[in-house]
Amino acid sequence: MRLIVKDLTKKFDQKQVLTDINFTFEQGKIYGLLGRNGAGKTTFFNCLNKDILFDSGTFLLEDESQKEVTLSDIGYVLSTPNVPEFLTGREFLKFFLEINQKEIKDLKSIDEYFDFMHIEVEDRDKLLKDYSYGMKNKMQMLVNIIANPKILLLDEPLTSLDVVVAEEMKQMLKSIKKDHIIIFSTHIMELALSLCDEIVILNHGKLEEIDRNNISDKEMKDKIIGALTEEE
Amino acid sequence: MVSTFIEAFKIKNAYRTNTFIYSIKQFPILKKLLKDTLYSNKILKVLGTIVSVIMELMSIFLGKFLYVWLVIFSLLPLYSVSKIDLFLHFFLFLTLAGAFMNTYMFNPTKDKYYAMFTMRLDARMYTLSDFYYRMFTVFVGFIPLILFFGHLIHLPLWIAFVIPVFIVSVKMLANIYFLKKYEKYGIITDENHPAKGIWIFVGICLLFTYGLPYINIVLPWWLTLICMSLFILISIFGISYLHYFKYYREVYKRILTEGNMNMASYKTNTVDVQREQMMKQMDIHTDITSTKHGYAYFNDLFVKRHSKLLLRSAKKTALISLVIIIIVSLALWVNPPLAKMINRALLIALPYFVFVMYIINRGQVVSQAMFMNCDHSMLTYGFYREPKVILNLFRERLKSVIVINLLPALVIATGLVFLLYMSGGTTEWLEYPLLFFSIIAMSIFFSVHHLVMYYLLQPYNVHSELKSSTYTVVNAITYFACYYMLQIKMPIFIFGLMTIIFSILYCFISLILVYRFAPKTFKLRI
Repeated sequence: MRLIVKDLTKKFDQKQVLTDINFTFEQGKIYGLLGRNGAGKTTFFNCLNKDILFDSGTFLLEDESQKEVTLSDIGYVLSTPNVPEFLTGREFLKFFLEINQKEIKDLKSIDEYFDFMHIEVEDRDKLLKDYSYGMKNKMQMLVNIIANPKILLLDEPLTSLDVVVAEEMKQMLKSIKKDHIIIFSTHIMELALSLCDEIVILNHGKLEEIDRNNISDKEMKDKIIGALTEEE
Repeated sequence: MVSTFIEAFKIKNAYRTNTFIYSIKQFPILKKLLKDTLYSNKILKVLGTIVSVIMELMSIFLGKFLYVWLVIFSLLPLYSVSKIDLFLHFFLFLTLAGAFMNTYMFNPTKDKYYAMFTMRLDARMYTLSDFYYRMFTVFVGFIPLILFFGHLIHLPLWIAFVIPVFIVSVKMLANIYFLKKYEKYGIITDENHPAKGIWIFVGICLLFTYGLPYINIVLPWWLTLICMSLFILISIFGISYLHYFKYYREVYKRILTEGNMNMASYKTNTVDVQREQMMKQMDIHTDITSTKHGYAYFNDLFVKRHSKLLLRSAKKTALISLVIIIIVSLALWVNPPLAKMINRALLIALPYFVFVMYIINRGQVVSQAMFMNCDHSMLTYGFYREPKVILNLFRERLKSVIVINLLPALVIATGLVFLLYMSGGTTEWLEYPLLFFSIIAMSIFFSVHHLVMYYLLQPYNVHSELKSSTYTVVNAITYFACYYMLQIKMPIFIFGLMTIIFSILYCFISLILVYRFAPKTFKLRI
């Protein structure tokens, strides 16, 4: 399975943010999306997720055949977790599972999902309002993963988690990557290098893959910094 | 201090000017035409500055004009005591009350935060220059108004000059009181959330203002003047306290960053207060559960955990309506001439109830709660934005909103039919069912209208800021249209029939629009 981005262009007023992007993402890999502040990483995600209109471009999903990417193909995990605070964790999952039961393959019980995400038994029936930041983040991630979208967009998801939760999440992402196309935006280079299979940088409105074959992390870092600071 | 004042004024001016330009950009058509470079456009900056100055002048004069006119002058004829005595009596007590509610210093505003914390202006210098300027505007603002209104009641000229000085001095004393309270007990004051004691004090002042003259007790002008002079005298001694107070920065650090007013960490303060208010409307008990499934389950939990806003409020409205109807029926029963009057009114006053039904409909608040407490987070999930989910949930919500609003509507509709019959009835028997069903139609219309507008225009962004001017305009038009109905008198037969047909058509068309467009329009604004 491949995600093909074709001729994507997005302008805000006169400012060209994404310039004629052509790129292919492949299943089974975690892509680390790096870029400077304001480079357009979130804009890129928002375009993919159809949150904003873009000037031109198509997103295609290629399996045996090609088709346009639809909302249900995408799971988008935001850096700040948003959960319906008037529900408990269990109620939120129940609702989600009930309305999506036809689409979900090998449906498990609610508690199995909680176990998978390391959410403690005593927290499961608490209102989401009273969940800690990390727990809300886990819930958000969980819902996005159960839906089993082909493409998973993660916008700085691990940055403000404690070390234990962040490690749990990393392992979890690695465990599910073989069935998904995962694009992971971050500012932390070490995280990108340790978690991601491919490094893609967004610079001057273009996506560019940095080849990491046969080079050390140190050389890779220099290469990335070099690429991000070079003039157009 | 003068240079601090000028710096502060520049900050405030820049803030206002940019707000002005930003608000121009919010108009639907202009938004597309105008670019971000607008903020550096010289002509617009000048225009913004002019608007800013006009706003400043309005804040100096307009509010005070309304205050003196509505709260003081226009009420003078209601009492049969000396106008001059009463004029001064009003000023004395209202100023005492107002000084604690409207302190200037303890009003946590954004420009204060920007000036003292973002721009790091000296807190004492900034506070004092701002406060003195405010006091200057109080003085300058009140002088012409008191002269004008004083002239109308033949107030001696020199007294007209004493009043503004008195107002300034009481305001000063109130601020000194709050500063002392901090210095002694470490308690900070936020004028937007007055303490209980302040409310009681204000209540007593108001009682003295309007209550005493009612039983013909009013302070003679000379006594009021003595009181005023005393306040002025004491405040002169207070100036040095105000001037040499050492803890302005600490006080503001706390006022501007604690509790609701946390300007450091939130984007817009009003939005946040609003969100917090909405959160308070939740009944957060996990023992409230639901036996339903899927969409109905989700909606049911939302409705049950917001019963303060929804069911309980509808019950309250229904109960109040019932009480009013019972009282009116009793009045009809004991007073036959009244019955005739009410009968005549009922036969032509149906349009009036459009406004009533508009006021009691919870649709707008409910959609606000739906957003703030639910959709705000849910819309960030892709699955929630799928057409199937949007429309299924819309249907569930529409059902609940209609049913909940029908409760008071049924009471009112039945009550009105009953009152019409009791007060002498009508010769046209069709008017009974028309009256009943037009009230029901109005209720359903407003329920549908608010929810449809919410789904078609979804006006908020992820920070819960209202981003759609169209939504604001639609709400304003709805309000004015309903308000306009108060002026209309029309027989039940015609108006009732029109209402029912209009409501059915409106619901039909708007539901088609929702099914057609909501999957596209119902998303977070970016």
